[in-house]
Amino acid sequence: MVEAKVLIVDDDQDVSKAIKAILNSEGYVVSCAGGSEEGMKMLESQQPDIVILDVMMSTSSEGFDMARVLRKNSRYKNIPILMLTAIKQKTGFDFKPSAGDPEWLPVDEFLDKPIEPDLLLAKVKALLEKTDE
Amino acid sequence: MMQDSQDERLLKRAYWVSRQRWIAAALVCAATYGSTNFFGISLNSVPLYLIGVLLVAYNALLILLLKHFTRGEFPRYEAVKKIVAFQISADLVILTFVLHYSGGIENPFVFYFIFHMIIASILLSVTESFLQATFACLLFGFMLLFEYEQIIPHYCLKGFISNCLYQDTRYIMGTYFTFVTAIFLVVYMASSIASKMKKAEEGYREANELLRQKDRIKDEYVLRVTHDIKGHLAAIKSCLDVVVRKMAGDLNPQQQDLLETSQRRTTSLNNFVKALLNLTTMKLQGKMEMSRFSLGDTIAGALSTIESNASAKSISLVRKIDVASDEIFGNQVSVEEAIIDLLLNAVKYTPEKGTVTLRAEDNCAYVRIEVEDTGIGIPQKEQNRIFEEFFRASNARNFERDGTGLGLSIVKQIVESHKGRIGFESKENVGTKIWFELPAHPIEAESNHD
Repeated sequence: MVEAKVLIVDDDQDVSKAIKAILNSEGYVVSCAGGSEEGMKMLESQQPDIVILDVMMSTSSEGFDMARVLRKNSRYKNIPILMLTAIKQKTGFDFKPSAGDPEWLPVDEFLDKPIEPDLLLAKVKALLEKTDE
Repeated sequence: MMQDSQDERLLKRAYWVSRQRWIAAALVCAATYGSTNFFGISLNSVPLYLIGVLLVAYNALLILLLKHFTRGEFPRYEAVKKIVAFQISADLVILTFVLHYSGGIENPFVFYFIFHMIIASILLSVTESFLQATFACLLFGFMLLFEYEQIIPHYCLKGFISNCLYQDTRYIMGTYFTFVTAIFLVVYMASSIASKMKKAEEGYREANELLRQKDRIKDEYVLRVTHDIKGHLAAIKSCLDVVVRKMAGDLNPQQQDLLETSQRRTTSLNNFVKALLNLTTMKLQGKMEMSRFSLGDTIAGALSTIESNASAKSISLVRKIDVASDEIFGNQVSVEEAIIDLLLNAVKYTPEKGTVTLRAEDNCAYVRIEVEDTGIGIPQKEQNRIFEEFFRASNARNFERDGTGLGLSIVKQIVESHKGRIGFESKENVGTKIWFELPAHPIEAESNHD
């Protein structure tokens, strides 16, 4: 059982609930925020090891905007970000982390909805291990 | 958009008239040669041959001017319109000179003015056509008058007529009256027909444009609705997955069974919505970002995606790649998706222990990708519908309940976005071979586009 702290920022609380249940089953400590503003406050209070961020919240790019803010902040810039989006379907482009412009799209991994539990757990684990290195 | 195509049509017609002018130049020279050498008609040949040469030079100059004004990104169609109006007037002047040097009123070719009037009616507006008709009548009239008054010499068509007619007042008046009425009647009739055709053509174009707009509105609507549905479905499925996998506690067998059924149906619906979203997005975007990429890596990626599906049914996957260059041009993600869709279909509709073969080979300027299976095949009478959206063959529905009927539509859309081609061969209970070909180079894609 791991005890890493995960922050989920998604305006769809049902999705957050499902993600929380999956992560809880592996022992992660999970907190949820319904938008980027609440997310920024919880970052401060929870000090998460990883952030799971939805792209489309109140605006179609709220998730991207928050990711950019995190990357510019010296305290948070090293926290890995897993972005929830079918990016290809929304933009027509496939932004693999390796191909993405870190300035424009500063996230570490993508995950499509609906969430595949195994894939989510694998990606969170891999991102946390990468940070530990 | 509409203006552009009209301008382009005018340009094409201007070139068509130029092609006719080569024939006219040859005809002037041939008629002069034939009349003097074979029919014994006395002609003032030198000016006529010179006019033939002048016609060639002037035509070459016009073509160069047309090319000059229409090359580059912003063709100057206003200049083309002026050239077209000018060339018709110039042709009338040249024809008048030809007639003057070859017997004037005695030459039966006077009625060749009619051809110019038809061309003017097609290319120019009604007013401009009538102006050209007036110009033709004036040119011909002044030529007759000046010859009659002997202001300019008359070259009698000896050998063709017995007596010179250029001072026969009654004959001149009769011929000129017929000439003028014929010219104006031709312009009137040809302009009426041309303007009716233009109006009908514009009507069709407007209707087409309207249909395209309506189709786009429909696609945008579908996109919005499916996107919203997908959000809800994603939430439902994510929650169901957690419960079915007992991440939220144990379930009794009946609960497990019912939830698994819900999960399966949600997955099917989710796949359908995703496919519909994908297809609609592609249709709305129209154009894809293209670059060079490795075909080998793309095929390997596609095969690894469907490997587990194939092994679950003990289906052997055979890969045969024989291409000169591994690099192809296109949208890598879409091409991989097209290959995956074909492979998934092949695996889905092939009974256990069958074989699915993926081939890639060169075919002239195209790269051909082919997926062949030993599956259930497509019934002959349904084969013409397999690329239709939402269509599933009757045996496919019986063999596998789940399916969106969108897979092949998506592949077709991807191939068309690449200016490629797609086709298939299939025999029921034997197997299906579906192939698509993509232009190997961007230049080929451009030229096909035109």
